[in-house]
Amino acid sequence: MSKLIKALLIGIMVLLLGSVVLAQDALSGTITLWGWSYDSMEKTGLIDAFKAKYPNVNVETVVYPAGDTYKNLQLACSAGQGAPDVVQLENSHLAGFVALDGCLADLTDHVKPILGDFNAYKWLDAERDGHYYAVPWDSGPVVLYYRQDIFEKAGLPTDSESVSKLVATWDDYLGVCKTIKEKTGHNCFANGRTTNDARLYEIMLWQQGLGYYNHDGQVTVDSPENVATLEKLAEFWSAGVTSEAQPWTDPWYAELGGAGDDTVTSLVEASWMGVFLKTWIAVDIPGKWGVAYMPAFAKGQTRAANDGGSTLAIPAESDNKDAAWAFINFMLASPENQITQFAFNDFLPALETTYTNAIFKEPDPFFGGQTPRSIYLDVAKHIPAATVYGPNYSLMNGHVATAIQRFASGELSAQAALTEAAETIRRETGLK
Amino acid sequence: MYNQMSPVRTTSDLEEASSAPDNGLTSSQNRWGLLFVSPFFLLFAIFGLFPMVFSFILSFSDWNGRGAINFIGLDNINLLLQDRVFWQSMLNGIIIFLLYTPVQIILSLGLAVLLNSKRVRGFRLFRTIIFMPYITNMVAAGFVFQLLMNPRNGLFNQILAVLAISPVPWLDTPFTARISLVILVLWAWIGYHMVIMLAGLQTIPQDLNEAATVDGANSVQIFSSITIPLMRPVILFSLVLSTIGSFNLFTELVSLFPSTRGSGPLNSTITPGLYIFNQGFGNFRFGYASAVAFVYFIIVFLIMVVERRYFGREDT
Repeated sequence: MSKLIKALLIGIMVLLLGSVVLAQDALSGTITLWGWSYDSMEKTGLIDAFKAKYPNVNVETVVYPAGDTYKNLQLACSAGQGAPDVVQLENSHLAGFVALDGCLADLTDHVKPILGDFNAYKWLDAERDGHYYAVPWDSGPVVLYYRQDIFEKAGLPTDSESVSKLVATWDDYLGVCKTIKEKTGHNCFANGRTTNDARLYEIMLWQQGLGYYNHDGQVTVDSPENVATLEKLAEFWSAGVTSEAQPWTDPWYAELGGAGDDTVTSLVEASWMGVFLKTWIAVDIPGKWGVAYMPAFAKGQTRAANDGGSTLAIPAESDNKDAAWAFINFMLASPENQITQFAFNDFLPALETTYTNAIFKEPDPFFGGQTPRSIYLDVAKHIPAATVYGPNYSLMNGHVATAIQRFASGELSAQAALTEAAETIRRETGLK
Repeated sequence: MYNQMSPVRTTSDLEEASSAPDNGLTSSQNRWGLLFVSPFFLLFAIFGLFPMVFSFILSFSDWNGRGAINFIGLDNINLLLQDRVFWQSMLNGIIIFLLYTPVQIILSLGLAVLLNSKRVRGFRLFRTIIFMPYITNMVAAGFVFQLLMNPRNGLFNQILAVLAISPVPWLDTPFTARISLVILVLWAWIGYHMVIMLAGLQTIPQDLNEAATVDGANSVQIFSSITIPLMRPVILFSLVLSTIGSFNLFTELVSLFPSTRGSGPLNSTITPGLYIFNQGFGNFRFGYASAVAFVYFIIVFLIMVVERRYFGREDT
């Protein structure tokens, strides 16, 4: 009898001990990551550091381009199986997935304590009814990239501060564009009329805190402000200072990175574009590009906007959510680890607690010794909350891009084109 | 058909006839037969029939791919009737079809006849060369065509410049965008259709041509009175494939027009196939995408009925 009791007691103790040990090493198993930007974690040793901290967790990266990531996540959410444990989602597509009931895991309890550490505008797409479903990774602060050599040829100042002053508003920018076209023949920037993707238009809306809908859920595509913004963009087409190159195609790259007479002078785009210029598009012309603040819509208004930027989320069916959260927390909420990634790929962290780091003041030889990172940083702090992205972004962007193309090719007025787009969007989304 | 094997029926014959379908097989042989053909039916049920039925059900809903399916009656059809982009995509399909199919059929038949004639040496080599584009990766080909059609210094415009023709904005206007697309499609698909035509030509009995030659027919007469009529079913097959193909263009579009996600300037190249994909996987409107798919299916089906009636007469 007593032997049996002893055996039972020992058995219970072993079980208890076992569970204590388990609790200490609660995180185990494999987490699978989907996305396209994990280079900054793999090649900088951050994944190894994570594994060293959680020795029982194995990390498996599956590299999908953005489009494939979304398609596969959509399928996994529909099928109820096959989703990864961590997924990269751009802000432009995040809200669409947040709106898919039960597709992404609710991270509210984890996120609440660190909410204030990130750029405020980045949470807009991650939140739904007071719950949060993703953690910001990088921001896309928009700046003005300009060719210092062409500015010089046109007799204009070339240093960052003077150019920022010179191009204070979109009207000033238009004037500068005309001067440069007159004196050097160079186009100001590429903005194809019939192949417009609405990207620059969205940047102009964003800096004014506008968008495609308002916080009451009403469609604002045809609002007077939106129409005025499009008409402002059209002034550049009518002045003949834009080129027709389709973005992300060979002619476009050649205009940005070539050395000939037919290159463009400037580009209003987010900080990640600087990385692309530096590492592949304009790698042959170091020292020629410069960085200044983007123009304000009207004098004294905001000179900051966002374009793009990613987040990390955990699909609801992940069976290793704790390890997945530990991973996201380790990579995105730690200032040191975000800075390690930033040093590798220059994608500006959305984590504001990194912003005091000395790396932001380092000069960049590609930009002629300017310190573009300090401008990115300052812009990121001032990005307004805009309603460009959202659950229906893909649909809205499609209709607005078509409206811009129709207006730009002279088929309809800005008002008529945007009104028709707004009516279609209202009909198809059921929004007011 | 009744058993015609033997005029005198035995009892065992009668038993056989009543217990199994009269195909000369025993019932156990029949069971094996069914087992052997079952993989097709199983796969078809899973990957063909089920999606079709499910998609039909979805077409009456506003399902976004997740959660409960909420039925909205015929609202999708109502939306579709007002959907400019969908009707534009149908129109694009027809325009693209009309632009390339005649050229494709004439060229592929012409090439096939040339290769089939005994005068051409290196039959295999030419066949391989002409077929090569079909097996080339379309994404890579699309990228190369982007370079060729680069309005500023692409090869096409440089050739035009030599001929003193002003540069063409290949991919930037609705009309030239469609022409550019047709050039790419022709390049990619001619070889495939040529091989179909070649197979058709080789089924034409040689003695017909010889008999006609003996009767004094020249090669043009042989071509128009023997080759064309006998090739009619093959041409119909090629035509049907091109019809479906032009409404379903996808990779060609996405690789030629990246900035508009394949829609082209002013939606001039978007096809129903691409539109359905964009609605489903881009905008998460699976209910609407299903409705579009069914309406599109019915329209293309009707077009093919007409094609069959005019090109597929059984009497030839």
